[in-house]
Amino acid sequence: MTRIKQGSIQKKEPRSVIRVYPQGLRESVISFPNNTMNQQQATIESERCLQCYDSPCTVACPTHIDIPTFIGMIRSGNVIGAAEVVKTSNALANTCGKICPEEIFCQSVCTRAKQDSPIQIRELHFYATQMESRKGFSRLKVFSTIDGAVAVIGAGPAGLSCAFELTKLGHKVDVYEKDGIGGVPRNSIPSFRLANDELESDTNFLSRFFKTRKEDVNARLFEEIRHHHKAIFLAVGLGVDRPIGIPGERLKGVLPVLQFLHKAKIQPSVLSIGDRVVIIGGGNVSLDAAATAKRLGAESVVLIYRRSESEMRVWKSELNEARRQGVEIRFLTNPVAIVGKSEISGVMCRHTRLSKEKDESGRRVPVELKGSDFVIDADTVIVAIGQSVEAEWLEGFERTENGYVKVNKNFHTSVSGVFAGGDMVAGEGTIVQAVANGKQAAHTIHEHVSKKLR
Amino acid sequence: MDKIKEPSMYSTRDLSYDFLGIHFENPFILAAAPSTDNLDMVRRAFRAGWAGAILKTTSVEGTKVDLCYPMMSSFDHEGRKLFGMGNIDLISEHHIDKVEYNVRMLKKEFPHKMVAASIMAGRKEDWQSLVERLEKTGVDMIECSFSCPQGNIGEDPGKMLAQSISATELTARWVKEATKKIPISIKITPHVTDIVEVARAVKRSGCDALTASNSIQALMGIDIRSFAPNPNLGGKSTYSGMTGPAIKPITLRTIAEIARNVDISILGTGGASNWSDAVEFMAVGAGVVEFCTVVMHYGFRVITDLKSGMSHYLDEMRFSSPKDIVRKALPNLAMHDELPRRTVRSHIDKKLCIGCEVCYIACQDGGHMAIDRGSNRIPDVDQEKCVGCGLCQHVCPVDSCIGMQVAA
Ligand SMILES: Cc1cc2nc3c(=O)[nH]c(=O)nc-3n(C[C@H](O)[C@H](O)[C@H](O)COP(=O)(O)OP(=O)(O)OC[C@H]3O[C@@H](n4cnc5c(N)ncnc54)[C@H](O)[C@@H]3O)c2cc1C
Ligand SMILES: Cc1cc2nc3c(=O)[nH]c(=O)nc-3n(C[C@H](O)[C@H](O)[C@H](O)COP(=O)(O)O)c2cc1C
Ligand code: SF4
Repeated sequence: MTRIKQGSIQKKEPRSVIRVYPQGLRESVISFPNNTMNQQQATIESERCLQCYDSPCTVACPTHIDIPTFIGMIRSGNVIGAAEVVKTSNALANTCGKICPEEIFCQSVCTRAKQDSPIQIRELHFYATQMESRKGFSRLKVFSTIDGAVAVIGAGPAGLSCAFELTKLGHKVDVYEKDGIGGVPRNSIPSFRLANDELESDTNFLSRFFKTRKEDVNARLFEEIRHHHKAIFLAVGLGVDRPIGIPGERLKGVLPVLQFLHKAKIQPSVLSIGDRVVIIGGGNVSLDAAATAKRLGAESVVLIYRRSESEMRVWKSELNEARRQGVEIRFLTNPVAIVGKSEISGVMCRHTRLSKEKDESGRRVPVELKGSDFVIDADTVIVAIGQSVEAEWLEGFERTENGYVKVNKNFHTSVSGVFAGGDMVAGEGTIVQAVANGKQAAHTIHEHVSKKLR
Repeated sequence: MDKIKEPSMYSTRDLSYDFLGIHFENPFILAAAPSTDNLDMVRRAFRAGWAGAILKTTSVEGTKVDLCYPMMSSFDHEGRKLFGMGNIDLISEHHIDKVEYNVRMLKKEFPHKMVAASIMAGRKEDWQSLVERLEKTGVDMIECSFSCPQGNIGEDPGKMLAQSISATELTARWVKEATKKIPISIKITPHVTDIVEVARAVKRSGCDALTASNSIQALMGIDIRSFAPNPNLGGKSTYSGMTGPAIKPITLRTIAEIARNVDISILGTGGASNWSDAVEFMAVGAGVVEFCTVVMHYGFRVITDLKSGMSHYLDEMRFSSPKDIVRKALPNLAMHDELPRRTVRSHIDKKLCIGCEVCYIACQDGGHMAIDRGSNRIPDVDQEKCVGCGLCQHVCPVDSCIGMQVAA
């Protein structure tokens, strides 16, 4: 690196100076926003990796990224190679590198944790893909082409992953998406956790490989698509906020969580939520909503959850972030009504206790305590109690007990030639699981189509 | 669902080229060592992508291979395992018949891989009969170990063959005489007064190449409570041959010194652990690079990164073949009196400085007392006192924080 520095040079020195660094240290001066590792940190961290044989992290990653190999490549200074390894297994490598809950996947089984602390796997793979996007993408192979096309409906993580894997397998793919491509990560995940350009470095790369049509698929269009394609992969996610079913739900000031997060992401200026916000729900989505409300300027944000902290199915990182933002969390509290005239004024709540009995999720069942009613004042109430699969046009599909679309182990639905994956079959999951589904489904679709051809 | 095999999506680069009249798929081969002493191991290595292998050194029947165990030891440097690796191994226990069989099988199953044998003997007849027998198997090359640091079959007890200029030349001539057409490489030791003299002797003998260089004789450590040296064989031990990352700079110098002075092909070995080490070996004159310790540590799988790293490096440098790297750094090596005399001063980037003051204490006690403590633990360089030795730059824990400014 040649840098000209003049300020600190004494008179004796001539004006122009060249700085000489030890070899190989050039890149380390590139620094990343969002506390991404720099080259030195990445090298030191990768050096800690034990390079276990048959590594448990690779098994635990739903997309089975070859983790020791890519970490070994970072260690040897081959970051482009590292990015290639990651991207070969995971089509949304950069997005997962930023927000995959590694604490429940790869990192939770890291052998090194038994010695001292786990390797920061997610950070390392984010480092690799970020470096690659700075240095320029690797040269891709020319993919072979098979006659006829496969359709993918929904360009979220599952749809994108499936479309890309199908392309790699030689298929022409038409993607139908009612919005921009990216699914929940684009529409709902707050930008303080996933910046637009971080998602776009994946989606811009992927969208070169298939045609995307902006269409809100309905029954008529679905039949048309079916007619023109050899197979269909459905990945429409969970688009509909579940109603909570308590009085006052339709009052002005009550916002379903996906709508709230979407607005907060694209037009935060038109969103007025007032000073006091109450969030109902105990999952990661409710924590995102709470942290977002705080960032929008709400003075008090109260999250109410009917069980206790240990029943909360959330990632520690999200819980910590919400608390750091000053979100108040009230456990053992159940909403019974939303109160107000035309606009809301608060949430009527009741205390609960946990009974010995457990529900199907294995968690203790909360029981309301009579006579414990109280009201939490609120200008806005955000309902975040889960989502369901939308659309009448999916009526013909067999469903699971929970109302998701039922598939067999090959991701085949009850309708011939139609496959499905991602949140719409598994319920609220994670990006990496959706990517894994899409990839696996691509292989079974490939088999299905090849058989049909024979 | 089980792990599925994703189709590869990146275009792979051709890394092949010719060296010593042999076609190499890539510049990476396995050195003569335990990893090449077993047919199944070499098969696995070839499938993993290694371009070739030098089977572990064999000798004539009747040569006693009297091993003792444990034979391995480690030079752990402050927490880093196997920074240097020691062994008191000897040559292969396999009979020459077995080695011949292995070569034949490997050449049949992997005709495009480079299969070489390594030999060691004492008498002229033995050297020559080994060469003749092996050449008939279809072996691509023969490497002659003139440098085994333990078992010596040289002229003086305790001395390696390659430590004698005259014995090296004579023996190398015997070997070359006995060969019909395959190339011969002489594997030498850096433990000599003048490596160039040894290389010249090999050149005069008519042999085709040098393998530079074998392990470094070392005493791997002493247990400071029992006073047993490493590796501990019932309280006793002996000197080991040390290999691995710790010896890389020594090998680099050995290869460079030969390449600068003698016109002969070189196979580089000794301390290369990754693709960039291999690039360095090649830049000072090696045509291909042999690996041993890194494979014994992490397995044959390291070839994936070697190939990938080399490919991306070639792309970045716009080189068309690994051959383009060979000798690239040699014109930049000069004698001390030929080096430029310039005014150099240390410069600390205060934005990057984390305030450990390690440079301060290093310069204070080991430099020229030119660094002042400054304010807020951010040191200042006194430009009058600084001579530009560069010590501070190397003790600084932060990459690129301290640079040496050169007056233009
Ligand atoms: C607030 C929030 C935060 C989250 N945070 C994380 C996180 O940090 N880490 C993590 O791993 N996971 C997180 N998740 C979960 C993750 O986002 C989902 O599991 C994942 O996006 C599911 O992917 P999918 O492809 O199945 O569906 P989606 O991402 O929902 O994509 C479905 C796509 O289909 C399109 N579509 C729907 N209907 C139609 C139609 N009729 N016609 C055409 N297109 C249609 C939609 O517009 C959308 O683009 C979070 C989820 C939420 C809601
Ligand atoms: C256990 C062990 C056994 C070895 N045996 C032989 C041998 O039989 N013949 C030989 O020429 N070199 C032998 N070597 C040396 C290697 O071939 C190689 O030159 C050396 O290990 C340096 O390379 P490295 O730093 O990549 O390990 C041996 C090395 C080790 C570690
Ligand atoms: S590495 Fe294998 S052969 Fe060597 S001592 Fe351990 S178990 Fe035995």
